[in-house]
Amino acid sequence: MNDVAIRTKRLKVGLEIHVELQTRSKMFTRTPNVAHPDFEDAPPNTLVDPVVAALPGTLPVMNRAAVEMSMLVGLALGCDIARFSKWDRKNYYYPDLPKGYQISQYDLPLCHDGEFMIRTDEGDDRRIGIIRAHLEEDTGKLGHDLPGGSTFEGSLVDLNRAGTPLLEIVTHPDFDRAEDVVTFGQELRVLCRFLGVTQGVMQRGHMRFEPNINLEMELEDGRVVKTPIVEVKNLNSFRAVRGAIEHEYDRQEVEWRETGREMGPGAKSTYGWDDEKMVTVLQREKEDAHDYRYFPDPDLVPVVVDDAWLEEVRAQLPELPAARRTRYVDDFGLREKDAVVLVEERGLSELFEASVATLNDGSAVAIAKLLLNQCAKRANESGCGVHQLGISADQIAGVIKLREADELGTQSIDALLALLSGSDDSARELAEREGLLVIVDESQLDAWCDEAIAANEQAAEDVRNGKMAAIGRLVGHVMKSSGGSVDAKSVQAGLRKKLTN
Amino acid sequence: MLSEEAVRKVARLSRLAIDESQIPRYADQLSSILQHIERIQELDVEGVEPMAHPLPLNNRLDDDVPNEGMPIEDLLKNAPSVRDDYISVPKVLGEGSS
Repeated sequence: MNDVAIRTKRLKVGLEIHVELQTRSKMFTRTPNVAHPDFEDAPPNTLVDPVVAALPGTLPVMNRAAVEMSMLVGLALGCDIARFSKWDRKNYYYPDLPKGYQISQYDLPLCHDGEFMIRTDEGDDRRIGIIRAHLEEDTGKLGHDLPGGSTFEGSLVDLNRAGTPLLEIVTHPDFDRAEDVVTFGQELRVLCRFLGVTQGVMQRGHMRFEPNINLEMELEDGRVVKTPIVEVKNLNSFRAVRGAIEHEYDRQEVEWRETGREMGPGAKSTYGWDDEKMVTVLQREKEDAHDYRYFPDPDLVPVVVDDAWLEEVRAQLPELPAARRTRYVDDFGLREKDAVVLVEERGLSELFEASVATLNDGSAVAIAKLLLNQCAKRANESGCGVHQLGISADQIAGVIKLREADELGTQSIDALLALLSGSDDSARELAEREGLLVIVDESQLDAWCDEAIAANEQAAEDVRNGKMAAIGRLVGHVMKSSGGSVDAKSVQAGLRKKLTN
Repeated sequence: MLSEEAVRKVARLSRLAIDESQIPRYADQLSSILQHIERIQELDVEGVEPMAHPLPLNNRLDDDVPNEGMPIEDLLKNAPSVRDDYISVPKVLGEGSS
């Protein structure tokens, strides 16, 4: 039992992230990939072929798209792309791994030595070092639930996921706060989605996190102790990532007090996560569980990346979400939180930029507002993304132009957007044809205002006496008379002119 | 000479059930393989690039075009035990291996 007082206690976390790449076919065979949206709901064991089932005589063939997606992520993380990398077998037996080995990259990963900047919740910029990002294949899935909801007494193997391309990204132990690990994970998810390498659906296991956690404690007597490293496996929600790290932060101190065990060879252990109890749980392992006996896979030839190929992939690299966010705030004057939402979907970000390019930077705030309010509401109701509404950048720009010229009332925006979805006509054409444009006939507006005042004596009197809240009733009356064809702003201005002087 | 304990370990890692009486024989056979490797290791390879693959090839890459895969019946007929459309195995604890 250690009862020395602890002067400082510092958390140290490194992160491994598995990203399932959404290629159309698997890593080493052309059977459909369950991580691609076209095949994600395939019935169990239907995305299988002799290579996946490891039937004798089968041979793996690399997927070009998986290699290029990995290079793309590597470049976005500032990594060096290895000009020469190879494949190795990681040997172990498990029912979700028909071959008895996983094809991975051991000593020569495709990407290495990068960094990723995050903005913490406290507003600091932090650099997180990337050790490596290598490509491998996913395993099948083990379950215990039978169709219909009953539980099976054994384990059920579904090989649909076996052979899905998996990019494993490994960071340096640069984190000292659970919150920063979550921020990093969320930001990496935005990046990978933006690059189009994954849908990033956490519930489907598209991204899985494994933090390596320990503590560095400075004791009252001057000693510095490090607790043994704990790896928590397979976390597939940010809540679990945060919970597991926070739980280990407390648990490791308690354990050190009880056992005095410190970091060292053989002291690393593996924990799982109990999502209901919100605690980490020690996973029992056989002593030789980690004796993987890696060796080069004789069935696969090396990957050599020459200048031409590297430049071809680099040319596909878009301006990244973080840079776009900064530009939206600095150049366009957008609010930080609007910029964050705009870059969450590449299609939305591109629609926004194309719309701004059609008009001018000065309209960016209005465009963002239209996209993130009325368009987002409509997309939400249709269950799609804003960029999938069938409304083009020119049409968005057209709506903004009508608004800027006071030709389209707020109340008509939704109706016009509905017409624009799926139509190739311009915003002006549609608005004119459907009678959505504001009547600018001053004498007609004047008449409607007089009518409203006559019909609402009390409200008019209140406004004359300075109770401006009462004007709403009068505006409403005019809007009704006009059938919504006037702009509420001009109505209010017209009424004010008559009632105040 | 490879120890009998090392033979047992290799067998365990490979999930091979071997007869105790056979262990000295395997130890002998495996040792002769290792001796052969040791002889190769005597070669002076100073300045020679490590070889990742015996064939002078690289980048055998397929385009990402999916095919049909194989019928589930063909997969399941080779499984030792099947439950609904799954291969059934003795209960495994934990979520998976990777």
